[in-house]
Amino acid sequence: MRVAQARRFVISDHPLPWLLPLVAILLVFTVYPLIYNIWLSFHEFVPRRRAIEFVGTENWVQLWNDTRFWQSLVITFTYFAIALIFELVLGMAIALLLDSDGFGFGFLRGVLTMTLVIPPAIVGMMYLLMEDPQFGVISYLLQSIGLLNSNNPILATASTALAGVLVAEIWQWTPFMVLIFLAGLRALPPEPYEAAMIDGASAFQIFRRITLPMMSKVIAIAVLVRGIDLFRVFDYVFVMTSGGPGASTYSLSLYAWQQTFSFVKWGYGATLSLVTLVIILVIANLFIRIAKVRW
Amino acid sequence: MNGSFSTRMLRTIAAWVVVAIFFFPIYYWTSVAFKHGNDIFNRPPKLFAFTPTFDNFQKVFGISLGSGGITVTPGGGNFYMAPRVWDSIVIATLSTVLAVAIATLAAYALSRMNFRGRHSFVGWVLSTRMMPPVAVAVPMFFIYKNFGLIDTYTGMVLIHALMNLPLAVLLMKSFFDDIPSEIDESAIVDGASRFMIFRRIVLPMAKGGIAATAVLCFIFSWTEFLFALTLTTTSVKTVPVVSSTFVTSIGTAWGNMAALGAASIIPAFIFILLVQKHLVRGLTMGSLKQ
Repeated sequence: MRVAQARRFVISDHPLPWLLPLVAILLVFTVYPLIYNIWLSFHEFVPRRRAIEFVGTENWVQLWNDTRFWQSLVITFTYFAIALIFELVLGMAIALLLDSDGFGFGFLRGVLTMTLVIPPAIVGMMYLLMEDPQFGVISYLLQSIGLLNSNNPILATASTALAGVLVAEIWQWTPFMVLIFLAGLRALPPEPYEAAMIDGASAFQIFRRITLPMMSKVIAIAVLVRGIDLFRVFDYVFVMTSGGPGASTYSLSLYAWQQTFSFVKWGYGATLSLVTLVIILVIANLFIRIAKVRW
Repeated sequence: MNGSFSTRMLRTIAAWVVVAIFFFPIYYWTSVAFKHGNDIFNRPPKLFAFTPTFDNFQKVFGISLGSGGITVTPGGGNFYMAPRVWDSIVIATLSTVLAVAIATLAAYALSRMNFRGRHSFVGWVLSTRMMPPVAVAVPMFFIYKNFGLIDTYTGMVLIHALMNLPLAVLLMKSFFDDIPSEIDESAIVDGASRFMIFRRIVLPMAKGGIAATAVLCFIFSWTEFLFALTLTTTSVKTVPVVSSTFVTSIGTAWGNMAALGAASIIPAFIFILLVQKHLVRGLTMGSLKQ
């Protein structure tokens, strides 16, 4: 009797007071900016009259015809895909390597977490120094084995600049994958492995047929969480190349930011950031549906 | 996985080599912090053979190492960064407190109460995590300008709290989900109110989870760049932002920058080691439990 009463109380309990602070801050800081962005994308700041004026769909037409926008879209997707593939493959390989209870392995896992706490802007500066054509240690190494010409600085050559940024990205976030995959590997049940051993399966077969399928949920979550951040890349390109040389490292976020704050194109900047937002929302939500990721 | 002795040996060596490669940039950066200018600009790069100096730390933090031990003298030079470190600490701490407080309340409701639209509400919270910072920073810049929040602690604390809220809510929800709800129900039978149960029973049981959430919020605020760059100008600045401005007309002050960078990693690293047990759950926003 009392239990039934208690149940009813739990169910009838109103969540509103508990959720109100969260809802308030999310409305003010995400919904309002969204509406403001939409409004701003139909306006533009006119410097000679120092006013924001209605321009209709001008920004959207400009976006459609802007080769630099399409270029930055391609660069963002390229960055996203290359970084994700490297981080996944390297992350899985290193996780398999470190998945051991041997002496010192816990220490090694701890050392790997270090890269995650460094501000990406500082990582960008680190690699800026290491890729410096004169005194950078990475440049020196590549030059001395003949892979790099000293006349082509990594970050100032259009064909290598994106790779130079990606090195910093992949260095910092591969350990993120390693830690997640390690947690996944450690939670796997031993029985399928024992059965496979008895059947005489090879190490690759075991990985392909047992480990990968059982890790699919873990991999999906890692891809989602990292993928969202990859698509919004800003810090590395901002400090390392500012989008250059030419436009070879312009990410969507950087392009939107620069249009707003460097070129005072407020309306066009808002249009660009809106497009970035929509692309992320659509891809991420599709991915959540397809991969059946649940929270 | 038990192999023969030699395969185990091989694996151990490979593991150390791989981790050493990942550790190398951190070592190199730290070594730059202890180098004189001419050692930084040496070719080939000096990795181990250099005369260590404390000059960079003295310039950046006013810390000097003399015969009488360590002395601290606040300086006023261009690269004196102690106030910037303080700004970062204040912003990271206050935004963490705010985010964790709001998130804990909301997460409890999301974990314990049944209401219509709960599932879509969680989805909404998650989708705010997908907003690109630039899409928030641009409108917030204009709003902040109107309210005089540019270049203030309040403005930075609010925006960093917002940034961390989706993570904090989802993470705290996962920790609350771990605590059996029968505990709440039996306390209700005993006549306790919801809030009393939350404060006296559930919160103490979720201590570890709250600590892990707080540490992650702190680190994400500590390392955040775009908002700090956009919404501050002169009086408030965080470490990542000033680090990217150590570029002068006579070149980049690498040694000073490295000193600041190396020193700023240490507190964050200690924090993260303290909550290592929950780290993966935190990095995946509560969806993977270790």
